Amino acid sequence: MSATAENAAAAGAGQNQAFLSCRDMHAYYGESYIVQGMSFDVPEGGIMALLGRNGAGKTTTLRTIARAHEPTLKQGEIWLAGQPLHKMNANKAARAGVQLVPEDRRIIPGITVEENLIVAQVAPGTGWSIEEVYEHFPRLAERRRQDAVTLSGGEQQMLAVARAMAREVKLLLLDEPYEGLAPQIVQEIERIVEHVKSLGITTVMVEQNAIAALRLADTAVIVDMGEVAYQGDAQEVLDNKELREEYLAV
Amino acid sequence: MSVNDVFLQLVTGLQLGAIYALIALGLTLIFGTLGVVNFAHGALYVIAIYAAVVIGGQIGFWAAVILVPLLLFVVGILMERGIIQYFYDRPHTDQILVTFGLALVIEEGAKAIFGANNIPYPIPDWGTGQMLFYGTGATIPGVPRFEEMPQVWMPFIEGMLFYPSWRIILIAVSFLAIGGLFALLQFTRFGLVVRAGMRDSEMLRFLGINITARFAIVFGLGALIAGIAGVFGGPITQVTPDVGMHLLVPSFLVVVIGGMGSLPGALLSAMLLGMALSFSAEYSAVQQIVIYLVAVVVLLVRPRGLMGKKGVLE
Ligand SMILES: Nc1ncnc2c1ncn2[C@@H]1O[C@H](COP(=O)(O)OP(=O)(O)OP(=O)(O)O)[C@@H](O)[C@H]1O
Ligand SMILES: [Mg+2]
Repeated sequence: MSATAENAAAAGAGQNQAFLSCRDMHAYYGESYIVQGMSFDVPEGGIMALLGRNGAGKTTTLRTIARAHEPTLKQGEIWLAGQPLHKMNANKAARAGVQLVPEDRRIIPGITVEENLIVAQVAPGTGWSIEEVYEHFPRLAERRRQDAVTLSGGEQQMLAVARAMAREVKLLLLDEPYEGLAPQIVQEIERIVEHVKSLGITTVMVEQNAIAALRLADTAVIVDMGEVAYQGDAQEVLDNKELREEYLAV
Repeated sequence: MSVNDVFLQLVTGLQLGAIYALIALGLTLIFGTLGVVNFAHGALYVIAIYAAVVIGGQIGFWAAVILVPLLLFVVGILMERGIIQYFYDRPHTDQILVTFGLALVIEEGAKAIFGANNIPYPIPDWGTGQMLFYGTGATIPGVPRFEEMPQVWMPFIEGMLFYPSWRIILIAVSFLAIGGLFALLQFTRFGLVVRAGMRDSEMLRFLGINITARFAIVFGLGALIAGIAGVFGGPITQVTPDVGMHLLVPSFLVVVIGGMGSLPGALLSAMLLGMALSFSAEYSAVQQIVIYLVAVVVLLVRPRGLMGKKGVLE
């Protein structure tokens, strides 16, 4: 209760009690000013689509929330369920429940599929057991002893999501999970994202395929040149042709 | 060259390679995890040999065997936490300057305390003699001096030959230490995390792992291995303040030839260099440059070194 109160207080009077609340984030890669004062909220258990053109700053936004060493957050606050993520580094944020599934998947090479999962369970705060992961991803079970780099693109994406689910996740950040995957695999990942939602986990999803992302999402944020250009219902973006043409080119 | 000559030079190659391997494995481990070329690594060896002389002389050799590596582990962690960690975000040139500076401080410190000349290393009695290798048909003279020596039968040896026991001990200890290091990295959870961290440390942070703390331990382990090298290598390399620098250059070449950050590569290339030095010993003009020749040839054929991975230091 006090955590929620703290969150609300930090977010300012009159704000809704968002699960993830980003307040006036300014983030830099060295001298390059990339995230230029973004604020948005994500309600608990929802899926938010984070959309925008190439280079708009979507990946940078996710990395800022996950508290990567770079970009540096020079100003602003990020609250997750009452916890001040802006005061944490990446490993603390991960223990607070943030899981980033990066755009290039970042499967660790040179170790097996199973070892990639084991590594996810070293730090305190674990989620699905390895056996549970295999129940959800039978294909990974078949390949558990293989070097993880021998997996196909789709399998690597599944492993990346599975690795996140092997931790206790409160906020799942998906960066272009469909990129380069065949439609069949995309459907499989979509089902997983829906399942994650049914578990009550909050998701922020960046996707080039805006239509696909919006179909799944409850809310949407459109980023343009490091600023929030739109924030609202996902359905509204689907219905608003002008908005889509201006910022998403679809 | 007779079979006996080849055998002796192989053993000498192993012994030279063993010291380089111990230093180079620490260097490459630190480089592969923290991305820092630790020019103070030779200086850690200097600390180890003097600590071994002092502890060995005051308390005894076995105390040195236990305490020196532990001391070096602590020194390594203090060095990393106290100084080197502040240079991770700085250019490589700054890292080289600070570690090189540290090496000079340690070398000069040793010179101030112990002087610039070689000081005697108290080898325990059982390590001072020779080992006897003999083959078929060899008759060991019935003289006590021979009969009391440790003896190894090797069928291919013609007659018999001798080799200093201490060097054999050094080879054995080095391979034990190297085996232990590989086992730690290959078969433990700590090792798994470190190996994964060598490939993608940021991803491990995203998975909640405080990889910085583990890498500090790795730095300590690299120093610990230099400690083992110092305890057993001191009598062979001499006990002087500048021996660290003399070891550092070839060890760094070993790392480059093996492939930056590759442990098996460092081991392989250390042995390669040891053998090259040993088998060129008759031609001193060649021996002076043989390690550079090997480096040039290997790097021409394989620019990333024997087992270097794509993307490291590129
Ligand atoms: N490591 C970096 N250093 C400096 N600038 C960077 C870095 N990474 C990204 N940028 C810059 O930041 C801006 C935003 O990049 P970002 O990757 O966040 O965009 P994005 O919306 O994810 O684009 P994409 O759709 O191409 O993935 C771009 O102008 C990019 O060039
Ligand atoms: Mg991106």
